[in-house]
Formats: sequence, structure tokens, C-alpha cells
Amino acid sequence: MSVITIKGLTKSFDGVPVIKEFSEVFQDGEFITLLGPSGCGKTTILRMIAGFEFPTSGEIWFDDKLVSGGKTFLPPEKRDIGMVFQSYAVWPHMNVFDNVAYPLEIKRVPKAEIKSRVEKMLDTVHLSQYASRLPSQLSGGQQQRIALGRALVSEPKLLLLDEPLSNLDAKLRETMRFEIKELTRELRITVVYVTHDQTEAMAMSDRIFLLNNGVVQQSGTPDDIYNRPANPFVADFLGKVDFFRGTAEGGQLRLTDWGASLPCPASARSGAVIAAVRPENIRMHKAGGTGVPGVLERLYYLGDVTDCRVKVGGILVRVIADADARLTFKPGETVALEVKDFMVFPDDGSTAEQLKIRT
Amino acid sequence: MKLNSARGGASGVKLVLLLFFAAGLCLVYFGVWGLNIYASSGFSSASAFESVYRLSAGLDRDWKELLSPALSQLSDEKQAAVEECAESLLRENWEGRRKGASEELDALLFDLKASERAETAQKLLYITYQTGGPKVSAALKKALGGGEHAHAILEALSGENAALPEAVSAAVAKLGGSERQAMLMQLFYTSLASRSQLKTDDVNSFKKGIRDKDAQMAAFRMIARGEIGGARMFVIANARTVVLCGVLLALDALLLAFLMAADRHWRFDIKWLFILAIADFLLVFQVTPLAYMVYKAFFPDASFSLETFRRLYTYPLNLDALKNTLIAAFAAMLVGTALAFPLAWLVGRTNLYGRRFFRSLFVLTYMVPPYVGAMAWLRLLNPNVGTVNRWLRALLRLSDVPGPLNVYSLPGLIWVLSSFYYPYAFITVSRAMEKMDPSLEEASRVSGASPLKTLFTVTLPLMTPSLISGALLVFVSAMSCYGIPSIIGSPGRIHTVTTRIVEYVSLGQKGLNDATGMAVFLMVVALLILFLSDFVLAKRQYVTVSGKSVSPALVDLRSWRVPLTVLVGLFAVVVILIPFGTILLTSLKIDVGKSVLAPNNFTLSNWKTIFGRGETMHCLKNSLLYGAMTATVGIAVACVMSYLLQRTRIRGRKLPDFLITLGSGTPSVVIALGLIMTMKGSFGVNIYNTAWILIVAYLIKYLMMGMRTVVSAMSQIHVSLEECSQITGAGWLRTMTRITGRLIFPSIAAGWFLIFIPSFYELSMTTLLYSSTTKTIGFQLYEYWTFTSQPMACAMAFGILLIVVVLNFVLNRLTKGNFSI
Repeated sequence: MSVITIKGLTKSFDGVPVIKEFSEVFQDGEFITLLGPSGCGKTTILRMIAGFEFPTSGEIWFDDKLVSGGKTFLPPEKRDIGMVFQSYAVWPHMNVFDNVAYPLEIKRVPKAEIKSRVEKMLDTVHLSQYASRLPSQLSGGQQQRIALGRALVSEPKLLLLDEPLSNLDAKLRETMRFEIKELTRELRITVVYVTHDQTEAMAMSDRIFLLNNGVVQQSGTPDDIYNRPANPFVADFLGKVDFFRGTAEGGQLRLTDWGASLPCPASARSGAVIAAVRPENIRMHKAGGTGVPGVLERLYYLGDVTDCRVKVGGILVRVIADADARLTFKPGETVALEVKDFMVFPDDGSTAEQLKIRT
Repeated sequence: MKLNSARGGASGVKLVLLLFFAAGLCLVYFGVWGLNIYASSGFSSASAFESVYRLSAGLDRDWKELLSPALSQLSDEKQAAVEECAESLLRENWEGRRKGASEELDALLFDLKASERAETAQKLLYITYQTGGPKVSAALKKALGGGEHAHAILEALSGENAALPEAVSAAVAKLGGSERQAMLMQLFYTSLASRSQLKTDDVNSFKKGIRDKDAQMAAFRMIARGEIGGARMFVIANARTVVLCGVLLALDALLLAFLMAADRHWRFDIKWLFILAIADFLLVFQVTPLAYMVYKAFFPDASFSLETFRRLYTYPLNLDALKNTLIAAFAAMLVGTALAFPLAWLVGRTNLYGRRFFRSLFVLTYMVPPYVGAMAWLRLLNPNVGTVNRWLRALLRLSDVPGPLNVYSLPGLIWVLSSFYYPYAFITVSRAMEKMDPSLEEASRVSGASPLKTLFTVTLPLMTPSLISGALLVFVSAMSCYGIPSIIGSPGRIHTVTTRIVEYVSLGQKGLNDATGMAVFLMVVALLILFLSDFVLAKRQYVTVSGKSVSPALVDLRSWRVPLTVLVGLFAVVVILIPFGTILLTSLKIDVGKSVLAPNNFTLSNWKTIFGRGETMHCLKNSLLYGAMTATVGIAVACVMSYLLQRTRIRGRKLPDFLITLGSGTPSVVIALGLIMTMKGSFGVNIYNTAWILIVAYLIKYLMMGMRTVVSAMSQIHVSLEECSQITGAGWLRTMTRITGRLIFPSIAAGWFLIFIPSFYELSMTTLLYSSTTKTIGFQLYEYWTFTSQPMACAMAFGILLIVVVLNFVLNRLTKGNFSI
């Protein structure tokens, strides 16, 4: 339970900047996620908070205590944090109990208290019956629970999680996701969570920081980031999205390739723009309905939804319709596409390389 | 790749196997028949020896007259020694023993002029050969009397087309093969009887010729008496080889049948031929010698007896040797490991200055011949003139001359062994540390443990299995080492098991039996340890899931950074710079007792001499050649084995693998001893005194080094890369050469060098297996050090060091930095 204040943090490896500038306050008890593609610098920030990397410049404060900055640099063991690693890092030469008891032994907690606290923690992470097993006799998910128990047993003020779920299989990942979330909520601990998995970030976080090339692209609640992306990169990283070139003029957005215009809020800027449309925000009607006409080319039935491709003007537009669409629509028929919601970004020409913009 | 030679069904294959098995048995039968004929022919080395000895006694007077002009140049003492040697030489030549008198005689005659030396040696040989060979008619003797045809006959002997005099051509016209050789040899000696121009090299090769030929000569005599024709003569002359081939053939057929039966469908796979070929080679050259040695140790006179052991281990000198070996190896293990672990941790896990540099420096020592280190420390710690002792005396104002340190002692031996074998533990521990997931340590740090606490509660326990196997490796290497104790131990009368074995071997036949007793002890301990570390400890290694490859956070040594760097640097100076510097400086001195800077003490003559001396260059050429041959054959076998082990599931592939591991774990001296006892022809192979015996010995000992490298490289290439190539339509051969071969080429090159380098400077095995024409640079160095001049030996040692370092550098370049030793 503490407030983490980061001021002007930067990091370069051999003169190559990895973190360009990071300043933020993580509130007490907040679940923070650092999200981004591999190599974006999210792990480096986490390791600087942990004390495994030496910042090139900037300060890190835990509450009102400076842990890194200027001449001060507290080594990891002095920072009173818990951390879970991607590889679990469970010590293979100690049994489950000893692994979890280790942080308390280091703190010279009395034996009896260690026993009760470890037992309580093992109970919390559902490992009570495995206390005397060696980690190699347990499954990946169980090993990850040991790591979690070990990180939390000494009741640290801050919990750092470095892609803790990426070595687990898909089913287990979903279960663990909620277990971690519930556990940290109960303990009301500040959490910094690093992942490249957007679903994980959306499901768990109070606030997400989306990073790319060492720069924060956007920070905010999952809702903010998903629905109000600050730039095309953010829109592209979270969820499915198609980009289209166009021009905005007096409340009308003209999509070049669609050969059609859509009404857009008058507040949107004028000139060359990129429109980002999420396929689930397009509704498909029978011919003659509201919207831009097009020809349904293909239908892919995915169980819960139907993934459709509709030819509008010169290009194919992706539409996610409900599951019944496979019954009501047939390939080749003419349909009308109603765009319920879309995002508009100015087209400065720089984003085209990164994103697959349909032109 | 499955070769369905028997699509018709299992019965065809079974029939073929049965035929092969029967053929093998037939060969054995023929061979045994040949042996019997040979035995009943009444010819034996022993009887030949008797007659030669009688003859030589009769010739005694003439013989001394012949030699007296040359011998008169020697002192009385030496003359007596020469005569004694000459007699034992006669005896030796017919006993088929190798060392001792002949070399001793060479050394004694060394003072004579070259032509006289050769002449003397040749005359002695002539006498020894007189009775053994085929008869030469009086007319022919007369025709050859002048000696001018000797050279032509010599050429004919070595297989070249020479212009032979008519009389000789006629005499050998109807003869073939070994018969012809025997006749030619006799004619050669006849022709030389009255003449004396012969090179030492020729004398040596003919000494060998006499010893090698007795089976052939027996057969020849029978033919001469008109008893037997060509093919049968061949069988008689090569009876043992025929038996060996038969046994192998039958054994292979059985093994193949066993493998096929285990596979359930009787289908022949060509890969089995490779497995059998490698297994056969190892069976003949590795298993047989070792098994025979063990047999001889327990059955010294064909019946079970522990007499050899009782005699050996009640003899105080041997008991001492045993004690010294165990104490020295154990202490070297403790010291070596105690040095290796902190070094590996500092170099691998902390922000020590120059950690990469130190790492390659310590690893490089691994490739330095141990005897070079022994020489260096001897120069430094010699109780009288050792540099360190002189400094210490000056520093501590001590006046008494010997001391204070003495390298010729058990602690001296332990120190030199430790300083040369710690890299073994260092490499093992470093590798394990690199493989360990760094987050295991980070998890401890984040749990509140200091770096030191982490080192002891997490790093050290996790490293324990590797630490133990590194320690055991140091123990075995120190125990089996011959170079260091032979240089340090013998002057100080510190005997070890290896030096005792070599001493026993030099005593001849009787010594061989005693040597086996010591060797069996060495082998049992070494193989026990090999078993422990390969099969028990390896299973206890902790396997950890490793995460993404984040470079591990290095432990910040803070205020300890500079002092620890200085300490590690100091260590490097003490164990590397000072010894090698000493070698270089000693090679530039005239008087080794004085500083190189003392007036008139600097010289380049040692270097000039070694480069100028033909014999040294010949030894260097031998070493390079044998090393290259060993490495080339070795790497080919390594590639085949790697493929079989990594890419196939063929039954039986583990057999050669097991044998190769066993061979590399056997102490060098033991391998050499086994080869000496079995490779003289009595088991059907006679490669004694040839280069082949050296190459075979190197292969057995060092093949593993290459194989391990290639296997690990291949295991890292996912099989899908090959499958992908095959999907695109490339055949197996193309896939191997274009994909797999290219990818593992750096490892193949590295493996080649890893076999080449130790073979190049090998000493322990060479000491036992060399002959006068197959001396290697390592042995030459040892001879210089012991008999000739220490500064010259140092010049050679530094030359060898340079070659090793340069090769390492080439290897590094060749493989783009992926590999150096």
C-alpha cells in the first residue's frame, strides 16, 4: 500500500535510449498495467522500479522515500517489494513451504510466526496440501502460485508482475488472471503488471499504460484506451480495427475508397484524416437499408459471431456480425453497411508505415 | 534411407546374416589352423634368440675388433657401457621388446661421429639378423659383396621400382608379398656386410622389420621346404589377423541379428554398418587392450592370482606413489574448486572490471599443456635457483641457500596441479551458471536477501551438482596426469601412480605385468568417477524453465569492485603471466640461474638451435601430421555419431557412444599401456612402433571432445529446419550439406581443433608409445628438458604455447566468435 512516484525516468543501453521519458504517479492500491509490444521498454521500467536496472536519469519514490535518483540507489532487497517472474523463478532445491518462507526468514521473523503466515499464504494460493513437495513435482500453474505466495507473504507495499502468465496454457491463464486480480484486491496492494497481452490488461487493470518504442502512447482506464484511443497505434494495438484514408469537411467524412460519405461530428478536424473503424461497430442490413451499399463476398462462421467481408467501392471491409448472420445473409447478395461508431485521426503521413492502412 | 535389401521377407535377411556368421567362424577356423602350423614349424623368437646369442658370443672377439676404432674415442666407462648395451640389444631384438638398450646405446654412441655411429649400430644389427632370415646362395653373396646395390635394394624394399642387379632380380623373381620382403631384407644386409654407409633412420626401420616378421618368416621357411602354397601361406603368415577378422565378422553378424530381432521386423538399415564399423574399431583398439590389461592383472600366469597386487602394494615405493596420487589429486580438487567457484561467480555474475577478458584468459589455460606449467613452476620455485625463492630470500634476508619454498615436494606438486586443472572446474561451473535462469537469483534479491546471502542460499545450492562434477573432473585429471609429476616428481622423488607405470613399462616384459596392477587401480577409480558424474550427478541437475532472455542483472560489487578486480588480476598474473613469462625469459637465457638482464646472459641461440635442428623440425612435423590425422578421422566419426544420436532412433546407436565416453574417461597412461600390451601382433594387429598406434591412442582419448561439440550443436538445430528442406524437394544429402552442415560448421571446426590441439602436444601416451621415428614435439620437449638444456626446452614450450594461442585465435575467427576454447 504505497504511492509510487516516478519523475523523468530515462534509460539507455550503450547510448541507445530505451525509455525516453517516463513520469507518473501510481496511486495507493492501484492495479497498473504496462502494456506494449515486445521491446517497447515495459520490462525495463519494471526492473528499474524493482532495482535490477540502474536508471540513466530520473527519480523513483516509494511514498515519501527516494529509492532511486541522484546518488541514491536502493538495491532490490532494500525496497520491500514482491515480484513474480515470467519463469516463476521458484527455487528447485527448496520445497514449496521453504520457497514461500524464504522472504520471512530473511527478515528474521520468529519461526512460529513464519509457520502460521506461510500456511495462511499457502491456503490463499490453494497449495496447502503441497507444502512439502519439490517444485519440480508440480505443474506450471502451481509453480506460478508458489511464486505469487512468495511475493506476497511478507506483505510488501508493492507487487511487481513480469508477464507472469505467458508461460501458462490458455485455460489456466484465464483462471490465474482472475485469481491474481482478486488476491491483490483483497490485499489492497499497489500492483505494477507487465504484459503484451491486451486481453489480460483490459481484464485486470485500473489503469493501463500503453508503450511503444520507449514512449507512453496513452494512459487511462481500459475504457478510455479502448474506446478513445489517442492515436492510430493505440487503436490498432487494442482490439480489431481497420483504417481508411479520407477527408473531413464540414461534418461530412468522405472515405476515399468507399466512394461514400459518412456524417461525423462537426468538431472533428478538417482535412486529410485516417478513420479507424472497429469491425464490430459496423451493422450489416439487407439491401435498401440505411448505410453504404456493398456486396457480401464471404462469410466465416466463428461460433459466437460471423466474420464477414463486404466489397464497398474498390475494397473489402471487415464486418463482425452476430452469429445468425450466416442464416440471414448469403454470399453475393447486396447489403447496406451502417457505421455506428468510428474514430478520426489527422493523417500526417507518418503512421502509414506502421499500420496497414487501406488506401 | 531404409535400405530394404530383403523385400522378400525376413528369411532372406536371416540367411544372409547366417552366412556372414558362418564365414566369420570359417575365418576363425582357418586362422587357428594357421597358428597351429606356425607353432609346429619349430620356429620361435625364443629359439632364434638362442642361436643368435650363441653366435654373437662366438663373434665376440671380431665384433669388438670391428668396433674398437670407434669405441676408442670413448672413455673406458662408456666403452664398458656400450658393450653391455650391445649385448642386451641382441637379446632385445629377438624378444620383441622395445625400449631400453637400443635407445641407451644410441645415447651412448651419441658422442661418436654420425657415420661411425650408424656404422656401429648397423654392424650390431647385421649380427643379430644373420640366423633368422632366408638363405642366400654363395654366388649371390659374391655378386652383392661390393655393397653398391644396397640402395637399390632398399628402394625395392620400400615398394619402389628400383634398378636391381640381375642376380637380385632373379633371386626374388618368383617370390611375392612378405616372402619377397624377407628375401630383399636379407639381401640388403648381405650387401651391406662389407660396407657401412647406412643412415640411422634406416637402421631403425630395419630393427622393427626384424621383429615384425617372425610369422611371415616361419611361413616362408615352410614354403622354402616346398610344404605349402600361396594362399595357405598367407593364412599362416597372418594367422592372428585372420582370427581377429573372423571373430569380428561373427560378432557383427550376431549383433546385427540381435538388433534386428529387437526391432521385430527383420529389415536391414545401412546405418547399422556405420555403428558396427565404429564399434568394431573401438572393440579392437580400446576394449580389447583394457580388458586384456585387467585380465593380466588378475591372471598374471593364466591362473587367477592376486600376487601382482600383493607384490605391488606391499612395496613401499608403490604404496607411497598411491598415497601421493590420492593426496595430490584430492588436494588439487579442493584447491581447484575453491578457486573456480568464486572466479566463475565474479566473472559471470558481477560487474567485475574486464570480466570477459578474464573469462577467456582462464578458459585459455585449459588448452595449455600441463607440463609447460610444471616447467615454469620448477624454474620459479626451485629451492636453489628458483626466481621466487631468490626474491623471497632477498626480501626476508634469509641466507641459507635452499628454500624457503621447494617445488620438489608434495605441496609443490599440489600447487602446480591445482593451478593447471582449476580451469576444468571453472568451465563446468561457468557453463552451469550461464544456463541458470537469472531470475532465480533476482527472486531472492527481491525477497530481501543481499547479494552475498543470495550467493549462499540460492546460487551455491543450485550449482552444487555442477560444482561436484567439476571437482570430480579435476580429481580425475590430476590423478591421471603424467606430465606434471614426471617433471616435478622425479627429481623430488615424489612418485605417483602414473610415473610408476611409466617406470615399470621401461623395465620391459616383467615390468609390464606390474604396470597393469597400478593401471587397473587408476582405471577403476577414473571409471567409477566417470560413472558418478555422468550417470548419477547428471540426473540431479536442476532443470529450470527459463524465461525471456533478459540479460541478467549483474551484482554491483560497489566498493568491492576495484579490490576484487585487483585480486582476480593478481591471480591471473600469478597463474598465467608469471609462469608463461618465465618460460619465455628462460628461453632467452644462457645461465638459467641469472637474470636475463645480467651481462652476457641474453641469447637467441636457444631459439636458433631448435629451429635449426632437423630432428626438432621432424618432431614438429610428426606432431602436426598426427594431430591433423587424429582430428580429421575423429571429427568424421563425431559427425556420424552426432547424426545417429540426434537425428535417428536406430537401435544400437548408444553402443559406440558408450564406448567413446568410456575411452575418454580412461586415463591416458592406462590407454597407452593397454595398447602396448596388445598391439604387437598377438591380437592380430601390429601397429607397434608406428604412427598408427599414436593416432589410435589419441583418437580413443580425445574423440569425445569433438563428438560432444558436434552433438550439442546438432541438438540446437531444430529438426524442422531439415524437414522443411526436404519438403521443398531437397534430398537427404543436399539437406545435410546445405542446411545442417552449414549451420553446424562452426561446431565441426571447433570440434576438429578440440581434438587436434591436445593430440598435437600430447605427452603421457606418447612417452609410452613413441618410436625413434615417431617422436612428437611434446616428447622432444620432454627429452630436451630432462637430458639436454632447459632454456632450449623453454623455447620449444613457448613455441607450443604460441601455436596453441594462435590456433585458438584462428578458431575464434573461423567461427565468428562463437567458439574459442
